Amino acid sequence: MTIDIPHNIASLAMQINVNYGQFELAIDQRFSLDGIIGVFGPSGSGKSTLLRSIAGLEKHLVGSITLNQRNLINTKNNHVVKPQHRQIGLVFQNSRLFTHLSVHENLHYAVKRCHDNRLSLGEVVELTELAPLLAHNVVKLSGGQQQRVALARALLAEPKLLLLDEPMSALDQRSKAKLLRMLLTIQKKLNIPMLYVSHSLAELQQVCDNLWVLNQGKITNFGNIHKVIHQLNYSNLNDKQTSLSLPIELINNGYGLTQLRLDAEQTILLTTQKYFNHLTQLRCFILANDISISLKKIENTSIVNQVFGKIKQINQQQHNALITVQCGEQDFFVMISQFSVHTLSLAITQQVFLQFKASAVRTFIH
Amino acid sequence: MLTSDLQALLTTLQMAGLTTLILLVIGTPLAWYLANMKSRFKVIVEALVALPLVLPPTVLGFYLLIAFSPEHLPGQLWQQATGQQLAFSFSAIVIGSVLYSLPFVVQPLQRAFEQLGDSLLEASAVLGAGALDRFFSIILPLTKTSFITAATLGFAHTVGEFGVILMIGGNIPGETRVLSIALFDHVEAFDYARAHMLSIGLLVSSMVILAIIYWLNLTHTDKRLSPKYKQQAEHSIDD
Repeated sequence: MTIDIPHNIASLAMQINVNYGQFELAIDQRFSLDGIIGVFGPSGSGKSTLLRSIAGLEKHLVGSITLNQRNLINTKNNHVVKPQHRQIGLVFQNSRLFTHLSVHENLHYAVKRCHDNRLSLGEVVELTELAPLLAHNVVKLSGGQQQRVALARALLAEPKLLLLDEPMSALDQRSKAKLLRMLLTIQKKLNIPMLYVSHSLAELQQVCDNLWVLNQGKITNFGNIHKVIHQLNYSNLNDKQTSLSLPIELINNGYGLTQLRLDAEQTILLTTQKYFNHLTQLRCFILANDISISLKKIENTSIVNQVFGKIKQINQQQHNALITVQCGEQDFFVMISQFSVHTLSLAITQQVFLQFKASAVRTFIH
Repeated sequence: MLTSDLQALLTTLQMAGLTTLILLVIGTPLAWYLANMKSRFKVIVEALVALPLVLPPTVLGFYLLIAFSPEHLPGQLWQQATGQQLAFSFSAIVIGSVLYSLPFVVQPLQRAFEQLGDSLLEASAVLGAGALDRFFSIILPLTKTSFITAATLGFAHTVGEFGVILMIGGNIPGETRVLSIALFDHVEAFDYARAHMLSIGLLVSSMVILAIIYWLNLTHTDKRLSPKYKQQAEHSIDD
């Protein structure tokens, strides 16, 4: 499976095998690295092992890895570039700050060992909002602050590729949202390709354009994030859902609802949140269980969203059915009971209305 | 007469100082190797290092005496290289002390390295730090107290050594006559006053050294490495 990638775009080619007896990671693929790429998979699927392999920390690796035409490892001819020479950054789940150094000294540790020095410490401190914390002892910081220091430290090493290994798994929802927004800003400003590992699709959906799915040591899906999330609806890896990225048409219609443009005729309403003000496009998702189907448009209902579409596919799953409904260019996924499928006599190409409340349209910060 | 005791003190300090220096140089990589060793031979190397803790010093001294004699290879090689006999020399008591005090330096360092673990070293490697850089910028500052403990214990234990030195060093003033041997001499000569002086000196200085080590351990050690501290670092309240 190789894809032709133009030379000016960063690329990562891997042909690797990491064997731990009961667990094996086996990847043979070439990817273009653009923006933030999500790596999703259940626990034990090999996500951390993959990142450790790329960073050069995995000792059991056999095979080769090439980043931007530079061969990092090729065990066939005993070529191994040590982690300190790879110029690949890694932000760990548990920050791993140097406890004998202050925040500023932790950041300076990276600056001192960086050969390029195109980025200034001040610039990175500003991007990560660390200025008030510089003199602090790292152990006294909160989890969210520690991860910001870890992120800043990794950026100051000016990596060609930044790996993020579940950097937010220990944080509360508010800190996560803050760090996610920070990450997006940083990516846009510094244009460093990033691989972002998480077991939370909601988190990845907010920041990634592309997604790799890792399951039992193999990459099973990759591509546009919304497409891959929809492919996952047919697996048991996540909650079945419709993943959307839509233009914001009107923030707060006077009732605290925001209007998104679905297609030429239809819009979707959802509850307004403060951070929408900075956006023109909004990423959100609707769980398949939160949508219902009717054959006619329902009048006099409190449900604010009614979307018209055509049934594309019906997947029977025990007593339920996962129904794919095409509304313009967008596919919606609806989970209803087999009983309802029979009662309504639903069939492929049939035209239907989907109903869901404004509160069913979820964003990451819900 | 008192000058002979001062000379013994000087010889003791020279021997213990040099021994400690050598022990830090060879003990550090050995402790690192043991801390990261996963082979089943690890227990054998650990047992070998710990052997001087339980072995009568005279046993070690006896075998070293044989090895250092000009009739055996190590003694012969030494004589060829330096032109001098190894047995009953200052070099002999230093080599003997290094072997005898090895566990007192290796064990605290090994514990410290095990406690330190890989995580911070991996973090510094991906930031561009090479092996030597990692040793001086991460390992040394974070295990500083253990290095002080190891050096002090190694030094103090070497000062208190008797059996090995008696076997391989004899009692040559200015060369191999150390405090513990001088003390033995005074007792044999029924000069209890001078024996008391040396004994009290050794007793008090050993006591002070140990008290300092325990105080260091209490106040500094592993605050940064202890599980409780790590946990606090990982799960502190969020902003």
